[in-house]
Amino acid sequence: MNWERYLDALSRVPHELAIHIIMVLISLAVAIAVSLPIGVILTRPRFRKLGALVMNILNIFQAFPGMAIIALTMPVLGLGLKPAIGALVVQALLPIARNTIAGLYGVDPNIKEAAQGMGMSEKKVLFEVELPLAMPVILAGIRTSAVYVVSVGTLAAYIDGGGLGNLIITGLNMLWAEFIIVGAGFGALLAIFFDRGLSYVEYKLTPPGFSIIK
Amino acid sequence: MIELHNVTKIYAGQTVPAVNNLTLKIEEGETCVFVGPSGCGKSTILRMINRMIEQTSGTILINNKDIRETDPDRLRMGIGYVIQQIGLLPHRTIAENISIVPRLYGWDKERIRKRVDELLELVGLDPDETRSKFPAQLSGGQMQRVGVARAMAADPPIMLMDEPFGAVDPIVRGHLQDEFLKLQREMKKTICFVTHDINEAIKMGDKIAIFEKGQLVQHGTPQEILANPKNEFVRTFIGYDRVVKMLTLFQVRSITKGNYSIIRENELANIRQKMDDEGAAVGILMNESTRPCGLITRDDLEKAGDVSPEKIKEIACSKKDAFIDGDLLLNDALSLMLEWDSDYLGVVDGTQLIGVVSLGDIRECVRRKEGE
Repeated sequence: MNWERYLDALSRVPHELAIHIIMVLISLAVAIAVSLPIGVILTRPRFRKLGALVMNILNIFQAFPGMAIIALTMPVLGLGLKPAIGALVVQALLPIARNTIAGLYGVDPNIKEAAQGMGMSEKKVLFEVELPLAMPVILAGIRTSAVYVVSVGTLAAYIDGGGLGNLIITGLNMLWAEFIIVGAGFGALLAIFFDRGLSYVEYKLTPPGFSIIK
Repeated sequence: MIELHNVTKIYAGQTVPAVNNLTLKIEEGETCVFVGPSGCGKSTILRMINRMIEQTSGTILINNKDIRETDPDRLRMGIGYVIQQIGLLPHRTIAENISIVPRLYGWDKERIRKRVDELLELVGLDPDETRSKFPAQLSGGQMQRVGVARAMAADPPIMLMDEPFGAVDPIVRGHLQDEFLKLQREMKKTICFVTHDINEAIKMGDKIAIFEKGQLVQHGTPQEILANPKNEFVRTFIGYDRVVKMLTLFQVRSITKGNYSIIRENELANIRQKMDDEGAAVGILMNESTRPCGLITRDDLEKAGDVSPEKIKEIACSKKDAFIDGDLLLNDALSLMLEWDSDYLGVVDGTQLIGVVSLGDIRECVRRKEGE
């Protein structure tokens, strides 16, 4: 064990951590922006038939190992942070889309029927009834994706995406266990942080009437 | 006024119509109950009236206007809708749930707040206690009340109710029915009410429409249907106690007669004489405070033979509970007669005696109504 190497590794943490967080946040934001509407559209009666097809495509993306996706984006998008984010988005889509669909389907049809029967427009039913009621399930999907993206994000360093993966790769190349421990350790801490943080958001956004039921 | 003209609904992928060539008119201020076994199409009809389902052919008119000319959301805002599962929004408070339609109409906050409190009181809930609760905190009966209040929020002239009291236990259901009948007597809304329970139909309906397999079998007042079931299906659907059900349509008060004698304690000795003089079939024993405390019929007297006044009093007092409130129904009277093994019951209004009713009177009433 070499304490100086620890300090060296730790001194690089703020920078790499910042990049890692930015990478995760952007990928998550993009993934939510794509998946949520996909989930909503696929649960509308007119597009229901498309559902199986789209979900299968997303399933295939999900089945790809993270490393393979990262590697495959390189020839298309080149090196750097952007292709890394692209790869992470692809990985983050499925859990969010799947949970959005599950959440929306899980809304009691009687509640929708009553809302519609009172004269609420389709849009109003979606935004005032369906999405709020599906929110806990959707957020659980976002949480799954977040944790996933944090861990796959460490692979971004292979295509020069930066982040905590840089520390791990340096450690692997130089056989410096200290760098690996610091990089992996902070990666794990970040994942836990996202998981806890989002579960707090989930708790906060759960409709008040629900917490009573539970 | 709601009119259905040759309305047919065939669901996609089916050949048998769910509703077949239905023509029906529901008058202004009338409660029409759609009744029939599951799958007879009664809910489908209801849902076609607010365009939750589009008819395959035929026209539906509300106040002489084809409902297809109105935007569905607009149409539905003007029609109260209550379903069995209630469908309260679990993430909204009771006040918010009730104010959904007023908010769609864009009422201001103060007006909505007032209306919510007014409605909660109307359906028998304490506004202060209920308004900020969530649906999950209420009992089934309370939720049904909120469901009805929500449907009435913007005072729609028409209400569609799909088994609105179906999800609560029979006792609560009875209360809700009574309260709703009382409300309706004042509101005079045009109501389509779906149920599979013939007793509920008889109780709630001004008119009853009986359906079988998408076909209207019989349409008429409860009395018409009970007196003249059109065919075997209706007869079976009503059940063997058809005539007893008919008795539920009339209050005891309506056939009460005055052929009784009031007997004071000191008149017990010459009770026969007094009843003969007054041509009475039954003697009512009164105590000092002029409360009826016993009842004795001619039959009882004959059976007893020549006995002491004390014995007569004993016989009379053994039927001290054979009195019935004038507001109760003839089936209640019949049941009480069987219970007391008595052809006669005293009829009271509170503690005030207003007459007597006999088994013969009930028979006579049935005979007359069957003939109508």
